[in-house]
Amino acid sequence: MTAATTLSDLIGIEHSKLGFFQELQQTVTKLQQSNRELEEQRREIAAIIDGITDVMMVLSEDLRILSVNNEFHKLFPEGNPIGRHCYELFRHSGIACPECPAFRSISTNTVCKETAVFRIGDCNHQFEMLASPLKSPGGEENRVLIFKRDVTMEKELQAKYYQAEKMATVGTLATGIAHEVNNPLMAISGYAEGIQRRLKKYAECMPEDVAREFVDYTETIIGECSRCQRIVRSLLHFGHPETSIFGVVSLNDIIRESLTILGYHLKKSRKISLKLELAEDLPFIFADEPRLKQVMLNLVTNAMDALDGMEGVITVRTRLEGETMVVMEVEDTGTGIAPAIMDRLFDPFFTTKSMGKGIGIGLATCYGIIKDHDGDIDIHSVEGEGACFKVTIPIQLEKETDAVSLSCACCR
Amino acid sequence: MLSTKFAIPDVIFGRGAITHLAQCAKRVGAQRVFFVSDKGVEDAGWVGLVKGILRANGLECVYFNDVNSNPRDTQVQQGVEAYREGECDVVVAIGGGSPMDAAKGIATIVGNGGEIRDYEGANRIMRPLPPMIFIPSTAGSSSDISQFCIITDIKRRVKMSIISRSLVPGISIIDPQLLVTQDRSLILASGIDALAHAIESYVSRLASPFTELHARNAIRLIIDNLIPAAEDKDIQALEQLSIASTSAGMSFSNAGLGDLHALAHALGGVCDVLHGWVHPTLLPSVMRYNMPSCMAKMGDIGRLIALTDTASDREAAHMGIERLERLFGELNLNTKLRELVPEKSDLEQICATATYDACHLTNPRPASAEDLMSICEEAW
Repeated sequence: MTAATTLSDLIGIEHSKLGFFQELQQTVTKLQQSNRELEEQRREIAAIIDGITDVMMVLSEDLRILSVNNEFHKLFPEGNPIGRHCYELFRHSGIACPECPAFRSISTNTVCKETAVFRIGDCNHQFEMLASPLKSPGGEENRVLIFKRDVTMEKELQAKYYQAEKMATVGTLATGIAHEVNNPLMAISGYAEGIQRRLKKYAECMPEDVAREFVDYTETIIGECSRCQRIVRSLLHFGHPETSIFGVVSLNDIIRESLTILGYHLKKSRKISLKLELAEDLPFIFADEPRLKQVMLNLVTNAMDALDGMEGVITVRTRLEGETMVVMEVEDTGTGIAPAIMDRLFDPFFTTKSMGKGIGIGLATCYGIIKDHDGDIDIHSVEGEGACFKVTIPIQLEKETDAVSLSCACCR
Repeated sequence: MLSTKFAIPDVIFGRGAITHLAQCAKRVGAQRVFFVSDKGVEDAGWVGLVKGILRANGLECVYFNDVNSNPRDTQVQQGVEAYREGECDVVVAIGGGSPMDAAKGIATIVGNGGEIRDYEGANRIMRPLPPMIFIPSTAGSSSDISQFCIITDIKRRVKMSIISRSLVPGISIIDPQLLVTQDRSLILASGIDALAHAIESYVSRLASPFTELHARNAIRLIIDNLIPAAEDKDIQALEQLSIASTSAGMSFSNAGLGDLHALAHALGGVCDVLHGWVHPTLLPSVMRYNMPSCMAKMGDIGRLIALTDTASDREAAHMGIERLERLFGELNLNTKLRELVPEKSDLEQICATATYDACHLTNPRPASAEDLMSICEEAW
């Protein structure tokens, strides 16, 4: 022990029973300081979170929304989302989505990715979703952090790119074939015409019924040759999408020409009957002919696939709607569309077809083309009773003058 | 002139005062009380009573009873662990000096950290302690009033004196009814301890008018009431002893003690003897040694003890000391130091240690280790 204790130590005038007051004051000051710091940190974090351009949500285990960032409010401007189920807002559904990555993320405790399309307002948005588990150390309820990035634009561009690529390939092929086929066709029709010329000279020298047969046969050959040439011409047209340009076109003609290309397929399937209900007084429209043909081809191919070998009718209809719009409908009596996938039909790469039958960009491309025409595609379908795709396009003839300046030299 | 100071806790006094415990505890913010006592108080039934009072008032309690008659540093450390584990907030102790000193030691470490030996000496406690409420079950130690805490350092075999204003508890609940369960020897041991507190603090170098008043009051009350309290357990006499002990506590806590307690602490470190039993052997010798330095005061004490009105201080002082020796004899108390210290050779070490004790500082007559040795020789 130190022997420093003195009498004045024992009196301890300057020592008094220690109270908590000073310490309390210091503690309060420290707490206020740390509170300020925490508030600053909180604001900084909030600013960072609100600066994130992805939609961000924190969900509870049962997918209730616990908190969201600014981007979320941009997507759903009205109402407070806190406490509501995520699938109510995104799917308008009472049950969780089967592909939900949040569940997987919680159960496997890993970061899970998923891509899905949600219909928000009147538009389809395709989102890339990223779910990360937020395990709380206190053993409280687990939570999931969800990021949703709107990739609709990227996917559309991607789809367009694929389609363009494909069309370019098909185009090259078609052009090649068309040129190759054109020459024999010219020869066949030339020889057939030669026979006809000779017939006139030698008809008197042969029996009348034989001469009659020769005339009929050669006319048929020439007729079929010119039909082949028309097909070849449309193939050539089809093969040059990059040369396509908006111009004044007849929707009915587009439909007829497209059906010419599909004619063989339609005839081969005897179970399908094609009904044309085209409005005769349909006005010209301002449109991109080859791309509208592509839409037509896609919709009719889709209708044929929907019938899937069954007997049925495909009706192609046109009519004037109001004074500014034309409508083209492709209706089939096929299997129809399930309500669950209705929202996803126009998603790139969404397909119900089996492997090898298609990669699911047909309708997405149609959607893109029609949007380029300021038009719209609607679907009406009852499952099991068929479907009707309605394409509405504005007439817009006054745009013609602008368009000419855009057209390139090679296609004038 | 030296300025002095007088500090005491809130004192709640009266028969049945213990019933105020819960409201006092709540007043200082209790939710989980750390409750210290020992086996003897448990057997008397008071521990059960306190637990009942706390429970009935919705206060949780962590009970700690691992306390010797001379509380040890190791026991303090165990108490600290129990306190922290129990996440307690207020310290309540019931018992004699040992549970109360143990409680003070525990509270010191809880508030300040470290080990109890870090606080040996005066004014080493720098941070607040948790609120303390003490209920004395003996009329003697006055630990419930004082700024003293005595803990045994096992390794060094030394009783450490820890002195700090922070060791004065917040509230002392003094209920004389608790004294009725004590046996004769405990009443005597604690009564004589209180008497020693009063005598030593009266002549202390730090005595002040405020402490002298209480010291005189205590001496008078103990002389009048010690025998009826011990022999008949007369409740009136016990109540007066309670008052005497509290008065003695107020006096010595502020004025300090002397070489009697310095020796008693040193001796207690070597042999585990009940503190009160040291005084009958050494008190008369210490008083004789101190007489030359404080003749007038020794005369006052003599008049109070021997109930004499003789004019001479020296005569009165001698009469007082003789009366005390007779009293110890009549009560069949051991007055021979040799009965307490097994080896006479230990005395040298005991006297050397005593000169380092804080109580040695306030002794009215300066004393070297050799002086203390002569006192012990006389008492042998």
